[in-house]
Amino acid sequence: MLFTALLFMILAVQAQDTQLENAVALLDKAQTVKDYQDLSARFTQAGNAQQTNWLPYYYAALCNAKIGFLLQDDGERIEPFSNEGESNAKQARELLRAGGNKKDLAELYTVMSMIYRTRVFINPMTYGRKYGPTSQQYLDKALELDPDNPRALYVQAWVKYYTPKMWGGDKDKAKTLLESALQKLAAQKAGGVEPHWGKTESEALLAKTGSKQ
Amino acid sequence: MAARTLTILVLMLCGWCLCYPAHGQVKISGYITGKQQAAIPGTSVVLQGTAQGATTDSTGHFRFTTLQKGRQVLSISSIGYKTTEKPVVLVNDSITVNVTLHKDHKTLGEVVISAGAFEASDKAKGASLTPIDAVTVAGNGGDLANALRSLPGAQQVGEREGLFVRGGTGEETKQFVDGTWLKNPNFSSVPGVIQPARINPFLFKGILFSTGGYSAQYGQAMSSALILESIDLPDESSASLHIFPVNVGAGLQQLAKNKKSSYGINVDYGHLSLYNDIVPQRPDYFLGPEYGRGQANYRVKTGKTGMLKIYAAATFSNIGLRQPDIDSSHLKNSFRLRNRNLYANVSYRSMLGEDWQLRLASAYSYNQDDISLDLLNSGNEPLQLPGEVFDGKQRHTRTQTNFAQGRMVLSRLFPRNQALHLGAEHFYTADRYRSHDSLYPLTNQLTAAFAEGDIYLAAGLMVRAGLRFEHSSLLGRSTIAPRASLAYRFRDGGQLNLAYGMFYQQPENEYLFRQRDMDFSRADHYIVNYTKKAGNRLLRLEAYYKKYHRLPKYYPAISNAGSGDARGVELFWRDKKSIPQLDYWVTYTYLHTQRDYGNYPYALQPSFSTPHTVSLVVKRFFQDINLNLNMAYTFATGRPYYDIRLAGGDGKPQVHDQGTTRSYHNVNLSGAYLFSLFKKWKHKDFSGIGFGVNNIFGTRQVYGYRYSHDGLHKAAMLPPATRSYYIGIFMSFGTDRTEDFLNDNL
Repeated sequence: MLFTALLFMILAVQAQDTQLENAVALLDKAQTVKDYQDLSARFTQAGNAQQTNWLPYYYAALCNAKIGFLLQDDGERIEPFSNEGESNAKQARELLRAGGNKKDLAELYTVMSMIYRTRVFINPMTYGRKYGPTSQQYLDKALELDPDNPRALYVQAWVKYYTPKMWGGDKDKAKTLLESALQKLAAQKAGGVEPHWGKTESEALLAKTGSKQ
Repeated sequence: MAARTLTILVLMLCGWCLCYPAHGQVKISGYITGKQQAAIPGTSVVLQGTAQGATTDSTGHFRFTTLQKGRQVLSISSIGYKTTEKPVVLVNDSITVNVTLHKDHKTLGEVVISAGAFEASDKAKGASLTPIDAVTVAGNGGDLANALRSLPGAQQVGEREGLFVRGGTGEETKQFVDGTWLKNPNFSSVPGVIQPARINPFLFKGILFSTGGYSAQYGQAMSSALILESIDLPDESSASLHIFPVNVGAGLQQLAKNKKSSYGINVDYGHLSLYNDIVPQRPDYFLGPEYGRGQANYRVKTGKTGMLKIYAAATFSNIGLRQPDIDSSHLKNSFRLRNRNLYANVSYRSMLGEDWQLRLASAYSYNQDDISLDLLNSGNEPLQLPGEVFDGKQRHTRTQTNFAQGRMVLSRLFPRNQALHLGAEHFYTADRYRSHDSLYPLTNQLTAAFAEGDIYLAAGLMVRAGLRFEHSSLLGRSTIAPRASLAYRFRDGGQLNLAYGMFYQQPENEYLFRQRDMDFSRADHYIVNYTKKAGNRLLRLEAYYKKYHRLPKYYPAISNAGSGDARGVELFWRDKKSIPQLDYWVTYTYLHTQRDYGNYPYALQPSFSTPHTVSLVVKRFFQDINLNLNMAYTFATGRPYYDIRLAGGDGKPQVHDQGTTRSYHNVNLSGAYLFSLFKKWKHKDFSGIGFGVNNIFGTRQVYGYRYSHDGLHKAAMLPPATRSYYIGIFMSFGTDRTEDFLNDNL
């Protein structure tokens, strides 16, 4: 009897893992606001159910950040997603505090940087001053903890690409960063539940730097 | 002990797994809707404490299966809605759960009272205005009120500062800083030449420009209120410098290490003689124009929620100019003004417990204008001439005004942005007007009290209702003004707004110096407005009717026998999305107004009004070359002008001649090239070259006509120069205030 019970517990935990893996697989294919909204809900559910794993919250935060980037030209709609993403990210950090390593923390800070970047989109003129620097601080922290993190490199490239020259923008630098991000990504495992996104994003941005708009 | 614990554990586990496989899975399905039964896609439905759940599809339906049994709770959440928990009992093979979610107004699409108002806030999202948007309108000369003329509702009155809103005079618009009346927002008037603002527009984080139907918290403005909220602490310490041929200045802003307090000092001085030598002016300046300004501020956080702010400014201007006399070609009129002004404002706000907020404010200002009018011969020598014709052209006057105000507002805050405000204020004004040897003193004590509630009636429906009481010791009269505003937000994000209100105002001093027995004038506003914001675009349509009662009149005796009305339609469209990196807005103002006031013999279309005004404001930042360009184009149909004179015997005013000016076109361009000179410094600088041209195409602009005493000659009122220019450099260290500098000096 005890054996059966334990078996089911193990099965249940495994089910949770598979669920997370499935969701992450879907995330790799997600494109629209709706896709990310659905996934954010799924990841949050998974996070609430497990209560111990930082990854579901991390992914929920990522989904909300992605939504913010997709809604970049619709300042009116972004704020709830930024808020949701921020709270997801904070939950993930709480869980990471206990046994987090540098690499995980770098992953999370990269997403946090993206979340604060989405706040800037609400209205760059006013929110930019406040959240632009916050976003950069998290990115700097991420790169300090793990200078080779391809996702942090990608976000840094994004910033370099879109920032006006006056404020430190540099399209050539963006290109170098993207090439290095893609190189690092190629060396990583492209599946599983560990963060591995960034290839499509980097390639898309690289295409822009190539075309020299 | 251990054995017993183990037994219990085993029993619990057994019980759990007994039900686990016994009856197979339970299917849970249903659909999630909002208030009007509309499906909410993307909603998360999850069985609490498990990872089991689903997300609704585009028709709001969801379905999932679970192995859980017994009493469970479904948690349903969607962004923009309140998370709802629904208890379910899982027994049978399948159950259906349909849930209606309620909007969470904290996160999405709050309904906001907004009829009649343009709000520019540092919290503005999407295409809503920010304070920077407002002050970067090309060619406003660093004057907020001037910049707001690019919004619908305001008239293009090139010869005078101030806001002429919806058939109202410039005096019918009042500016308020943290609740207190800013009595002299601009340097004192000079005939025919618009004067700059006294206050730096970058002191404000919130600007509410109400073109009608404003809150009961403010009064004594029949047409419009410009409600300004000053910034709290700066983000960082900074220092700044600007050098323009017409103005130089420096400033310092120091934030304390603990970030609890800050102080700042700014000084600037401008002298236009060099500029006027290069760009010839129509008036012949013999003094200045020179302007000086010193400003200081101190701000401190007190306790957890308290904020105390002190601001003081001392300003002066000296201007003397000569213009040809209209009655005699051999003569000239000389005008000389010396203006001294002191302004101080202290405000404090704090929460009292969880739900109560206290706001206190006081202001003091002193203004002195010494004006000399003289007649000159062709050699610019003064001469004395007798006769009625020249009487008003030879005069030495001094106007001194002491003004003080105290104000207190107590607010009870409720959920969903609801609030009840109770407040009282007192205004003391002492004017001393000296002309030749006569002294005209005028002292007024105006007391006001108000109560106003913002009430949430139903989903998306908000109402604001208020009452304002005022008593003037000078007039010996009291008024009670009701105000109401309603806002309804549609599901698509559009909002319908209605407003009504009574607005009282004392007659201007020019009447009161001669006649004390007068009454308040009154305007009633009726406003309907539709606003929609989406996708970094904003559409605003507003229609209104305004009725004036008891306007002051000179004839037959100084009295409140005047009246008037105004009606109109206004459009505002802003788009930050359609063209990448380009931000533009278009406005259209239609105004039909007539008023019988002042020296008008009967109701006339006032000379500061025109039926149609269109403006286009375009802004673009060219990233690759660090160049910022702003353009503003304004078109207005012609304004009426009149030759009103007293007819012979019975002293009745008559319109002897009238006409309409040519239509008005104006294109202003301003820009800045940004750079950094000391990139290696710890606090690198943010510098730029700012430049601008007003009326690029040199279009002939006529504001109106002046008539000679006998009506035989008329002279066009023209701008001081066809075009105006500026160019200069600004630098900021510490914080990136390039934008601010740019705009401050435009």
